[in-house]
Amino acid sequence: MRLDVYQKLMALQASRRSVLKGASGAAAALAGSSALGGFASKAMAQGGLRAEILKIPGVGAGSPGDAEWQKVGELCLGGTKETVQEGEFAGVELTFMGLNNQNLHNFLFRGFLKPWEAYTGAKIEWIDLAQADYNARLQQSIATQTVDFDIIEMGAPFEGDVCGKGLASVMPDWVANLIDMDDYVGYLKAPVGTWDGKLYRISIDGDCHTFAYRTDYYDNEEFAAAWKEAGGEGDWAPPKTWAQVNAHAKFLKGRKDPLTGLDAHGFLDPLKGWGGFGFYFLEDRATAYAKHPDDPAWLFDPDTMKPRVNNPAFVRAIEEVIDIMDTFPADQINADPGTTAFQQFLAGTGSGLTWWGDVGSNARTSDTSVVGDVVGFDIIPGSDEVYNSSTGEWEQKANEAPNMAYIGWGVYVMARVDADSKKQRAAWSAAAHLGGKDLSLWAAAYPSGFQPYRNSHFQFDEWEEAGYDRAFVEDYLGSNADSYNHPNAAIEPRIPGIFQYYSVAEDELAKIYAGQYGSVQEGADAIAAAWDKITDQIGRESQIALYKASLGM
Amino acid sequence: MSVAETDRLHTVGADDISPARIAFGRALVWGAAAAMVAMFAVQALFEGGIIAFGFENWRPVLYLYIVWGVCLCIAQVLIRGEQGKRALFVIPAVLFVISMVVFPLLFGLWISFSDWNLSSLTGRKFNGLDNVRQMATDPFYWNALFNMVIYVAAILVEYAIAFALALLLNAEIRARKFWRVMFLLPLMLSPVAVSWMMGKSMMEIRFGPLARLARWLGWENPSFFGSPEMAKLTIMLMDAWTFIPFMMIMILAGLQAIPKEVQEAAKVDGANAWQGFWQVTFPLMLPVSVTAIMIRVIFKLKLADIIINVTSGGPGGATDTVTSFIFREYRDRSNVGYGTLLAMVYLVLIVIFMTILLKVSDRIVRRVTGMG
Repeated sequence: MRLDVYQKLMALQASRRSVLKGASGAAAALAGSSALGGFASKAMAQGGLRAEILKIPGVGAGSPGDAEWQKVGELCLGGTKETVQEGEFAGVELTFMGLNNQNLHNFLFRGFLKPWEAYTGAKIEWIDLAQADYNARLQQSIATQTVDFDIIEMGAPFEGDVCGKGLASVMPDWVANLIDMDDYVGYLKAPVGTWDGKLYRISIDGDCHTFAYRTDYYDNEEFAAAWKEAGGEGDWAPPKTWAQVNAHAKFLKGRKDPLTGLDAHGFLDPLKGWGGFGFYFLEDRATAYAKHPDDPAWLFDPDTMKPRVNNPAFVRAIEEVIDIMDTFPADQINADPGTTAFQQFLAGTGSGLTWWGDVGSNARTSDTSVVGDVVGFDIIPGSDEVYNSSTGEWEQKANEAPNMAYIGWGVYVMARVDADSKKQRAAWSAAAHLGGKDLSLWAAAYPSGFQPYRNSHFQFDEWEEAGYDRAFVEDYLGSNADSYNHPNAAIEPRIPGIFQYYSVAEDELAKIYAGQYGSVQEGADAIAAAWDKITDQIGRESQIALYKASLGM
Repeated sequence: MSVAETDRLHTVGADDISPARIAFGRALVWGAAAAMVAMFAVQALFEGGIIAFGFENWRPVLYLYIVWGVCLCIAQVLIRGEQGKRALFVIPAVLFVISMVVFPLLFGLWISFSDWNLSSLTGRKFNGLDNVRQMATDPFYWNALFNMVIYVAAILVEYAIAFALALLLNAEIRARKFWRVMFLLPLMLSPVAVSWMMGKSMMEIRFGPLARLARWLGWENPSFFGSPEMAKLTIMLMDAWTFIPFMMIMILAGLQAIPKEVQEAAKVDGANAWQGFWQVTFPLMLPVSVTAIMIRVIFKLKLADIIINVTSGGPGGATDTVTSFIFREYRDRSNVGYGTLLAMVYLVLIVIFMTILLKVSDRIVRRVTGMG
C-alpha cells in the first residue's frame, strides 16, 4: 500500500487494523485510490519473483544462511543485468565496510553480492565491524583522511560527518532510477540521504523503535483477574502510556512467566551503554513527554543548541526507569540493548521492550527465539501529558512521539572511487543491488538486521504467502507503518558527532542508575553540561545551522 | 690514539679515508637532512595556512626521513670506513625506535595539549593547559584511578594464592605435570574469550552454569554484576583467574631453583613446616616474587579488555579502569586531544609508581635477604 493511500485512509478515520484485516480491508484499500491500481499491477508483474524469494527458506524453516543469501542475491540480479554487461567490472576491486552484528549485515551482503561478483567480475574485500566499534572507526578514517573503503553501510546520523565533508560520491541518475526511490516511506525521502541538495544514500533499512510485548501476558486470565483484584487502572491490556508500562511492571513483580515458568518481569529497559546506541532507549521513554507536536525539536533548542536532556520531560523519563528498576532481572544494570533484546526478550524474559523492527522478524524466524507465537507490536507508548519547551509548562493532553532512532541503515559510495569511472560504476552497481526493491523485501521478512522501509513492504499478502501469520504481520508491520507515518515522529538530528552526545549521556546515565547523584535532576544536568562541552568543541554555530537544517527549519 | 688502534679484537686494518670522501659523506648526510627539514618546514607552513603550496599529506616528509636515514648509513661508511660499517648494525634499529617510539611519544605529547574532536570541522587547535584543567575536575578519571588502586592492591591476594598453588605443584603430588598444565590453561585464553565465556555465558543469570550453581548453593537471585561492589569483585576474580597462573609459574620456577639441601638443613636445625617456609623459603623467593608482582602490576595497570566487554565500566563506573575510560573517551567520543592527555598523564603516573615500587621492593629484598 502506498503511503499517500495509507494516509488518505487514515484521514477517513479507517484505523489500521480495521482497514488491513481481512478481505474487506483489502477491498477498502483498493477503493481508496486509483493510484493503487497501477501499483497493484506492477506488483503482479514482480509477484512471481517476490513470492519465490520469500520462500527461501520459508518462515519456520530455520534461520537462513549463506546458501539462502546467495540464492536470493542470484534471483535478484535483474537490475544489475539491465544496467551492467557480464564481466564488465573484471579486475575491479572494491572494499566494503559494514557491521557484523548477530552475524548479519555484512554476512548477508557477502551472500547477496557473491552472484553479483560472479556476474560482473568485480571482487569485494570486507571490513567487518562490531556495532560498538563502528563510530570510532568511521570518525578516525574521516579525521585522519584514511578512508580505506569504497562502499560503506552507514546510518543517516553520520551524513553530517561524511557527506558534509565531501567524502561521499553523488548518486548517478541510473542508480536512482534502478532502485525505485519513490517506493521509500515518506520520512526516508529527502532531506534524509541528501546534503546540499545532492543525493548520496541508498536506503536498505528504515529505523524506528516500536514496542514489542508478550501477548501471552495480556491474554492471561489469571493476570487479568489479579490486576482487577489489585485495583489496577483500566483493563489488563497492552500498555498505551509509559505510566501504564510502569504500573504493569510493578504488578508483574513476583509472578511467574506464562511461557517459561520462570520469574515474570515487566518492561525491560537496557541500562548499560552500547557505544552510544543505548541512549536511544531512554529517548523512547522521553519522546512522548519531550516531543511537543508544535515543535520539531526535542533534543536541543534549535536556536542555541542548549540541551533539553535536563528538562522536566527527560528527567521524568529517567525517574520512571529508576521507578521500576527493582522489577528487572537481577543483572539488568549490566544488560545492554543487544543483550536485552536477543538474550532476554527473544529468549522469553520480560513482558515488553522497545527495539527496532528486526525483533519482529527475528521473533518468528530466528532459531534462538521462543516468543514467536506470543509477541505483539505497537508504536512506542505515549503519555497523558507533554512538556512544552517554549512555555516551560506541562500540557495535559495525550501525546505520542515514535522515536525514529537512527533513521535506518543506508549504503553510501565514497568519493574516492570517482576518479575511476569503471570503479565508480561498479561501486554504485553493488550498492544498488543491495538496495534493490525485491531483495529488500526478503531482508525485511527474514533475519537481516533491517526492517521494512518501502511502501511495497507493507503488502501483507506477500508475507502471508511466505508463511507468516496474517495477524502477526499486520501487527508487526502495522507498528512500523504507524511509527513511520506518525505526524509527531521524533526525528533524529543528523549533526556531526551525534554519537558523542549519546556516549557521554550513557556514562552519566550509568551513574544515575547506580544512585551516584543526589537527584535525577543533578545527573541530567551533568549530561547537559557534557553536551554543551561537546557542542562548543565541535563548533556551536555550525551545529546550530546543521541542527536546524536537519529539522527542516 | 684512534679507536681502531685501541681495538684489540679488530682484525681489519685502519682505513685510509681521503678528505674528499669524508667531505662527500658529510655533504650527503647534511644535504639529506636539509632537504628533510626544508620539506618539514614547507609542509608545516602549508598546514598552518601560511603558504599556499604544499602536499596533500605528510608522506613526502616521511619519504625524506627514510632517504635521510639511508644517507646517514652510507655517510657512516664514507666518513668512518670500517668503524662506520659497525655502526650500520645499530643505526637502523635506532632510527626504527625513534620512528616508532620516540616520535609517537612526542607527537602524542603535542596532541595532548590540543582541543581535537574528530567531528569538529576546524580540526586540531592548541588549547594550552585546558585539558589538564578538565582532567583535574573529571570525576570519571579520578574514579577510574581510584578503582586502579583497588585493582592493584588485589595483586597481593593473587600473589598469596599463586604462591600457595606453586607450593602445591612443587610438592610430590599425583599427576603433578597434568595439574601444572591444567593450572596454566586460563593464562592461555584471550581475555576477550574469558569475557564472553565467563562474564557473558557462565554468569548469565538464568541459564549460566555459575548462576545455577549459585542458586543450588542457596543464592536465590544470583547477580554477578548487579551491584557496584559485586561487579568489581567479579571483574577482579575473572582477571585473577586469568593471571594467577602467570605468577604461579614464575614462583614455581623459583621454588624449583632452590636446592633441597636448604630445607633439609632447616629441618635438621629443628624448623617446623611453617618456619621452614616463612624463614627460609619465603625470603629466598623474594627476588622472584618481586619480579612476578612487578610484571603482574604492569599487566593490571593495562586492564581494560574484560571490562570493556563485560561491564563497559559500570555499574556507575564501579568497574571502570583508566584504560577503559580513555578507550571510551577516545573511541566513542572521538575526543583525541583530551584522551591523549589522559593517557600521557597515566603513563607518567605509572612510571613514577613503578620507580617507587622498585626502590621500595629492592630495599625490602636487601633487608630480608641480608644483602644490603
